[in-house]
Amino acid sequence: MTRNLRIPGIVRGSRIQFFFNGREITAFKGETVLAALMAAGIKTLGVDPHGKGRGALCGMGVCYQCRVSIDGRPGRRACMAQVRAGMVIETEKDLP
Amino acid sequence: MIFKKRCDVAIVGGGVCGLAAAATLADQKLDVLVLDENRYLGGQVLRSLPWPGNASGIHKIFRSRPRLVDKTATPSVTILNHTQVMGIDKDLEILAEKDRKEIIGIRPQMVLAATGARETFVPFPGWTLPGVMAAGGVQTLMKGAGVLPGQYMVVAGMGPFLTAVAGLFLKNKGMPTAILDFGKRADTCRLLVHGFRQGAKILEGVRNLTGIFLAGVPCRYRTMVVAAQGSRELEKVVAARVDSLGRIIGGTGKTYKTGCLATGWGFVPNLELPMQAGCSLTHDPDLGGWVVAVTHDFETSIPGIFAAGEITGIAGASISMIEGELAALGILKKLGRNVDVHRMAALQRQRKQSLSFSTWFNRLHRVPDAVFCAIPDTVLICRCEHITMGEIKTAVEKGYDTPAMLKKVLRCGMGLCQGRTCGPVVNRILAALTRRSAEAFPVLPVRTPVKQVSVRSFLR
Amino acid sequence: MSSHADVVVISAGIIGASVAWHLSEKKVDVLVLDKSDPCSGTSGACDGMVFLQSKKPGVHLAMAMAGRHRFDNLARELDAEIELRCRGGIMAVTSAAELAAVTRFIQEQNRAGLGVSLLDARQARDLEPCLSTDIFAATFCPLDAQVNPIYLTLAFLDAARRHGAKVLSRTPVMDIRITPRGVYAIDTPRSIIETRTIVNAAGVHAPEIGKMVGLEIPITPRRGQILVTGPMPPLLSRCLISAGYVAAKYDPDIAGTGSMGISIEQTARGNFLLGTTREFAGFDTTASLTAAKKILSRTQAVIPGLANARLIRTFAGLRPFTPDGLPILGHVSSRPGFIMAAGHEGDGIALSPVTGQIIAELITGTTPGISLTPFHLERFFRGTVS
Ligand SMILES: Cc1cc2nc3c(=O)[nH]c(=O)nc-3n(C[C@H](O)[C@H](O)[C@H](O)COP(=O)(O)OP(=O)(O)OC[C@H]3O[C@@H](n4cnc5c(N)ncnc54)[C@H](O)[C@@H]3O)c2cc1C
Ligand SMILES: Cc1cc2nc3c(=O)[nH]c(=O)nc-3n(C[C@H](O)[C@H](O)[C@H](O)COP(=O)(O)OP(=O)(O)OC[C@H]3O[C@@H](n4cnc5c(N)ncnc54)[C@H](O)[C@@H]3O)c2cc1C
Ligand code: FES
Repeated sequence: MTRNLRIPGIVRGSRIQFFFNGREITAFKGETVLAALMAAGIKTLGVDPHGKGRGALCGMGVCYQCRVSIDGRPGRRACMAQVRAGMVIETEKDLP
Repeated sequence: MIFKKRCDVAIVGGGVCGLAAAATLADQKLDVLVLDENRYLGGQVLRSLPWPGNASGIHKIFRSRPRLVDKTATPSVTILNHTQVMGIDKDLEILAEKDRKEIIGIRPQMVLAATGARETFVPFPGWTLPGVMAAGGVQTLMKGAGVLPGQYMVVAGMGPFLTAVAGLFLKNKGMPTAILDFGKRADTCRLLVHGFRQGAKILEGVRNLTGIFLAGVPCRYRTMVVAAQGSRELEKVVAARVDSLGRIIGGTGKTYKTGCLATGWGFVPNLELPMQAGCSLTHDPDLGGWVVAVTHDFETSIPGIFAAGEITGIAGASISMIEGELAALGILKKLGRNVDVHRMAALQRQRKQSLSFSTWFNRLHRVPDAVFCAIPDTVLICRCEHITMGEIKTAVEKGYDTPAMLKKVLRCGMGLCQGRTCGPVVNRILAALTRRSAEAFPVLPVRTPVKQVSVRSFLR
Repeated sequence: MSSHADVVVISAGIIGASVAWHLSEKKVDVLVLDKSDPCSGTSGACDGMVFLQSKKPGVHLAMAMAGRHRFDNLARELDAEIELRCRGGIMAVTSAAELAAVTRFIQEQNRAGLGVSLLDARQARDLEPCLSTDIFAATFCPLDAQVNPIYLTLAFLDAARRHGAKVLSRTPVMDIRITPRGVYAIDTPRSIIETRTIVNAAGVHAPEIGKMVGLEIPITPRRGQILVTGPMPPLLSRCLISAGYVAAKYDPDIAGTGSMGISIEQTARGNFLLGTTREFAGFDTTASLTAAKKILSRTQAVIPGLANARLIRTFAGLRPFTPDGLPILGHVSSRPGFIMAAGHEGDGIALSPVTGQIIAELITGTTPGISLTPFHLERFFRGTVS
């Protein structure tokens, strides 16, 4: 397990839980989905048509490489969406 | 459509530029609307943590920020955050998607586009592996969420932005594995000397460099990433020394173990919105290539639409702020208000001075064409549509040598990001392969929506 | 500088490209000129439906049916991927009133030999489960197909080049003169090109070329807007139009009121192309968000699953519209050597192979398999003195 990747000494929002591919993950209200996943050591957010992993690139809503399905809605950008309690996030397989 | 709103001036983009403009217009009691896709204002430079109580912050370049935000917090300024602008139509009506669920229409008298910049890249084998991120993306993660991308990180690309990101990482108890800069070591020194007149900026740079030096982080110059490797995610980065044209010097390969690589090669302007609105562009190789053409008062070729900040030239935050104020003054002038001509002249002078530095800076950090020619055939250039360098080369050999033709033949730029990531790279590749100037390659046309929207929003 | 070609084809749109390929196959020395890049006119801003059901029974349908067979072997003949899919097409009927009109329409089509069947709502959904339960009925024609119009245009051009045709893109035709020797001299910024035979395949710009030789050509741009969604999993396997589409296409009164039918196709890549409007708005190709909203609500009413889609782009193309809806093809009697191949309105993709074939036959002295009389330019000037 990696060290805690959240920078210490920061006042954060309240602690919440969400689900990534069925796994329960802790986050803080106000974080983006991308930040919450990266803090949990998760970098692979999708699978390309050749079976290779896909992860965030720009981190600012430009490249659409961080898309995940959120609560059943496909193609949402993890770097732009805010994490919410109980959110169900799933990786997507890209179409060929 | 849920609601239609009228206002005097609509500003698209709540970065330094947009905020400076809003503050200036608010002084004159104009009814101003600031629209930004993000939940929090500030754009790329002023990005900060979303939680109150972090006054000290993790990163503070801009001392003026509180003032800037305070000023906009007057009744005459309305902030529409989490609002993605889709387009501006002929009668200046702006259409936007708010909160990802409804379409709103805004009818301003004047529009200021201050849509800022994004990062650009030099693709290399393995750059699509999870763990390889834009340097700015890593900065955003740290500044905007207080999260490190990993414990260790290699920072690679070109220019002082690399040390800024590495410095921030180090300050927050991350351990940079190495900094790999395409530039010469001497460039860094020249930059320090030349930038001395720039005040605060240089202090930040010196502080970063000192920290990096004291921590013993290896800084390699004239060095490029040759490949990122890993079975599923990034595990190691292979780098080698290069000559000034980017040709690899044999026998200099070195491998760094890391799960995170931050890569950055400079910035390109977000031209999509002004282009969709029909604003003319101009090509300035020293200010980032294609930029929005504006008058002395920052009005574009479309009457009533003004543009300022990074979209009129990649020149840095302080110029963006000056331009924001200048554009606001230009708007006031056009609206028939009295404007302080001395203030205007002083700002123009300041801008001119800083611009000469930016021009010099950009020239110093121009990636040579040869670097783009040397991208191996297997490397993906258009990630959305999976187009490789080899496919682009073959198409160019067949005579399909414009961005528009590559789009038709290969679907390059037709994907979800609509060419935002590959577009600037493809332009450089085409210029390099055909030995023409980048000016010969127009930016792909942009149409509404400038960024994708959900069909559901439309149906409401 | 001046050069010569036996035949000069004006435009690298789908029609010009097909004409060039058919000519080059017959060993004719052909030069293609386009003011822009290949396929940057209407052929690069349209759907790719090879629809027979939408054609009015008569010469129009006859030509489309003759042309449809050409698609079967086209990919092989061109040695290229054109994303042809022959799974038939559907016309959705949304009301009882529409059903009556549609029933008459397909009776005529069946009499003309096009096998179209009427499906009830349940049968329609068996065929395409994505259809809304609100669908009233549907018609199905197994011959309808779809193709990638951009790939097809480029494939025509590539094949033409392989057979020796020359293609000069970014070379506008600025003027056409008749030299003292009685040949055409075509002015371009690069050079003057002399030829005895010109094919005017300039789509909506055909009137400009006509004017250069003193001809008035009644083609006007009729704008069509299309919305593009991000790639989606396979949802719709056939192309689809609404009965209102046929009405809007043939009844300019309806079109004038801004009424529109819809067209939906899912491309090989998975993107949906949602259309469309039929508007007379000059050469303006901006797409309005008001139209987008209408198109989205109507198409989503037919395929509810589209609510999950993301709209990534909009575009608009200009259909080369003629007053009677038929293309203008063949010789112009008053201008020997000047041949028309333009005005295909909303059918240029479907009619491209057959048009190329007919024009090539005409030029090489073979009698075309289809009588060209109904397509001659002169039909618009009957009774007037030329
Ligand atoms: C990732 C990144 C990091 C950077 N870091 C630094 C740094 O540390 N120091 C530095 O000096 N310079 C940095 N820069 C350079 C920086 O771009 C400028 O110095 C400065 O931010 C420019 O200000 P601006 O107001 O023109 O644009 P920005 O600050 O980029 O603001 C533009 C705003 O417009 C919004 N926007 C754009 N399009 C739309 C739309 N269609 N709808 C709604 N909103 C929209 C964006 O979300 C953004 O908030 C960075 C640039 C990038 C891309
Ligand atoms: C929204 C929409 C949907 C459609 N859907 C379908 C469909 O599903 N199925 C179907 O069969 N058809 C469809 N069509 C119709 C079809 O697209 C057109 O009929 C067809 O593309 C016309 O082709 P063209 O070659 O005549 O014209 P274009 O493709 O427009 O080619 C004309 C060319 O002439 C060139 N040119 C103009 N002036 C000059 C000059 N002075 N010198 C040199 N070159 C010149 C232009 O650059 C252009 O490349 C649709 C059209 C639209 C707008
Ligand atoms: S990482 Fe680029 S859009 Fe999210």
